[in-house]
Amino acid sequence: MTIFRHRPGLVPLLLLVPGIAWLAVFYVYPAFQMFLSSFWSGSLERGFSFSLANWTTYGAALDRYKEQFLRSILYATAATILTFLVSYPLAWTIAFKAGRWKNVLVFLVIAPFFTSFLLRTVSWKILLGDDGIALGPLKQLGLLPDEFRVLATPIAVVFGITYNFLPFMTLPIYVSLEKIDVRLVEAARDLYAGPWRRSGAIFGGVLGGIVAAVLAWIFELPVVPLAAVGALAGAMIAGLLISEAFVRVTLPLSMPGVFAGSLLVVIPAIGDYVNATLLGTTSTTMIGNVIQSRYLVSNDYPTAAALSFIMMAGILLAVAAYARALGTENLTAGRGL
Amino acid sequence: MPEPLLSRPVTRRAVLVGGSLAGFAAFLAACGTSGTSNTPSEPAASSGPTPTAAPPTPKPTPSAELNFANWPLYIDTDDNDPTKHKTLEDFKAEYGTTVKYSEVINDNDEFFGTIKAPLQAGQDTGWDLIVLTDWMAGRLVRLQWLEKFDLGNVPNYVNNLQDGFKAPDWDPTNEYHAPWQAGMTGLGYDSAVTGELTSVNAFWDAKWKGKMTYLTEMRDTVGFALIKLGYSRQTFTLDQFDQAIAELRKAVDAKLVRAFTGNEYAESLVSGDVVLAMAWSGDIIQKQADKETLVFRIPDEGGNLWYDNMLIPKGAAHKYTAELMIDFVYRPVIAAQIEAWVNYICPVKGAKEELAKTAPDLANSELIFPSAATYAKVTGFRSTTEAEETHMNDAFAALIGA
Repeated sequence: MTIFRHRPGLVPLLLLVPGIAWLAVFYVYPAFQMFLSSFWSGSLERGFSFSLANWTTYGAALDRYKEQFLRSILYATAATILTFLVSYPLAWTIAFKAGRWKNVLVFLVIAPFFTSFLLRTVSWKILLGDDGIALGPLKQLGLLPDEFRVLATPIAVVFGITYNFLPFMTLPIYVSLEKIDVRLVEAARDLYAGPWRRSGAIFGGVLGGIVAAVLAWIFELPVVPLAAVGALAGAMIAGLLISEAFVRVTLPLSMPGVFAGSLLVVIPAIGDYVNATLLGTTSTTMIGNVIQSRYLVSNDYPTAAALSFIMMAGILLAVAAYARALGTENLTAGRGL
Repeated sequence: MPEPLLSRPVTRRAVLVGGSLAGFAAFLAACGTSGTSNTPSEPAASSGPTPTAAPPTPKPTPSAELNFANWPLYIDTDDNDPTKHKTLEDFKAEYGTTVKYSEVINDNDEFFGTIKAPLQAGQDTGWDLIVLTDWMAGRLVRLQWLEKFDLGNVPNYVNNLQDGFKAPDWDPTNEYHAPWQAGMTGLGYDSAVTGELTSVNAFWDAKWKGKMTYLTEMRDTVGFALIKLGYSRQTFTLDQFDQAIAELRKAVDAKLVRAFTGNEYAESLVSGDVVLAMAWSGDIIQKQADKETLVFRIPDEGGNLWYDNMLIPKGAAHKYTAELMIDFVYRPVIAAQIEAWVNYICPVKGAKEELAKTAPDLANSELIFPSAATYAKVTGFRSTTEAEETHMNDAFAALIGA
């Protein structure tokens, strides 16, 4: 160990070796190969040949599959919003109100992950069945028309993604909430932070209306009535439940968790195709479905590779923009509203 | 003793579970983890002359092992030990060899992805015997990625292959493929809701709007559209194929079709989400145990026939032993033993008579040993060139939104 004593700079380098080697062998090299294959033309039988002139594959792929790209972005965004809406109150309750049940509840959040992703998705088929446990009773009461269904619609796909990625949002938010010193919240109250009535009701109403309108549009449901419901719910939640201390202390301090959680949800959600395959229909396919079909069924490797790189580049740009807008270094400043 | 017909697991084409997992892998691959398998190469045609049916040479001896890849639940299996298969035990005992039997094939395209790289590079795939569906077998013949059988080593196969499976256009001399099991695609419906359905036109009937599924298996789905238009699946032109796609698109655009599925449709038929499906015979037999009103029927205008084939991949290390296995399962007694458990269509002559001795109910099932009249109503899809296949896959992918 004397060598490390004389050259202390070596230690961090050596610690980096396994990670870098892993990434180089299992990520960089194959990704580079994949990048090369996006410049191929030809077919399995005739053989493929490489030419830089084949960059046109990118434009063609983007143009041909823009609908699926757009849908992936919309579905992933909707799922991220929904996971946030479910996760935040859940994480807040576990962090501040669960007492000695904290660990049990955190375990329960992860528990579904002990079964396979696929089985969890298939079980939604049973849950959302046309006459299943969710819709059956509503139909019997006459609240829904007989031909109403959730499966094979965008709702089923987005809900499936939301469910499958929920813990990725809940856990980071929980971790950042858990770290918050409650004395900061108490101090805010001592300094006359009260309920958040007037501005809260307006803010919550506007935000709730917008979110509900966007979701309704993606779900192909009536926009105006749902926006009204969303606005009302948002106004009531923000005006009655949320305090000024939460808005000025807790929420800003938990933003790193929200940031991490939304990235962990949105990135895999854009590429997901299992939910669209099992719960969707021909008009809800996502870019993952196209890549799978190009690669496995059509043996069209250049297009599959090009689509993958377009997706990667798109995600990278979006994440960079998001990080700039909501970068972690700004979050600790604790600017309120 | 064979179990009762209805309670047995009959899940071939496990597109749902296997396919999706494979798809996962493929997705990862597409994102950049397995690009190594795509080295461009010369067309496989350059891989030297194929040995033609040689005159019987001095008898080779069976090798110490045989690597056999098949679909899950596709061979007779011991009730108490799922790793034990009597047919394979019998084979081992007779030839003093070991059989490494792997249930690794869940999807034709996915398995093709796993053997493509070595075959392209002219290397041994590690498998001596694989089981793939007719159209994929045709593609492998086209790519010259299969070994020709030495017909002198497989007399039972030569004598006992059912006539209906002989000489497909992609293997007119029956030297590359030995059918393992076959199945039919037809109307699968809940008769309690739909009443009796007899025509392929039911798949375009607005009465079942949103309650009807088609198959992601292109040849099955397009096959029904060709039948509806009165075109032959054996001789159709690409123009007729495009008309068939247009016919399917009408149903999709009118939102008649709930989804295109693998064999998940069977579950949906049981739950009632779907009342009519393009269905595989074996799936419906199995699901009748859960819902008695389910019916499988070949439409009056005709239905699709598909079959899975034992194939010897190019460069297989134990070709002779693979031929012994093919010949072994073409003995009527052994075929009956497999059939008593598997319940798909048996391609072996004489197996019916053998099975009648132990399980007459199975031997008389029209879905396991179809009558000549049934055989006359079903047919497969013609083989295609690569360019045709690309055109067809693209058109179908556009139809299903991928």
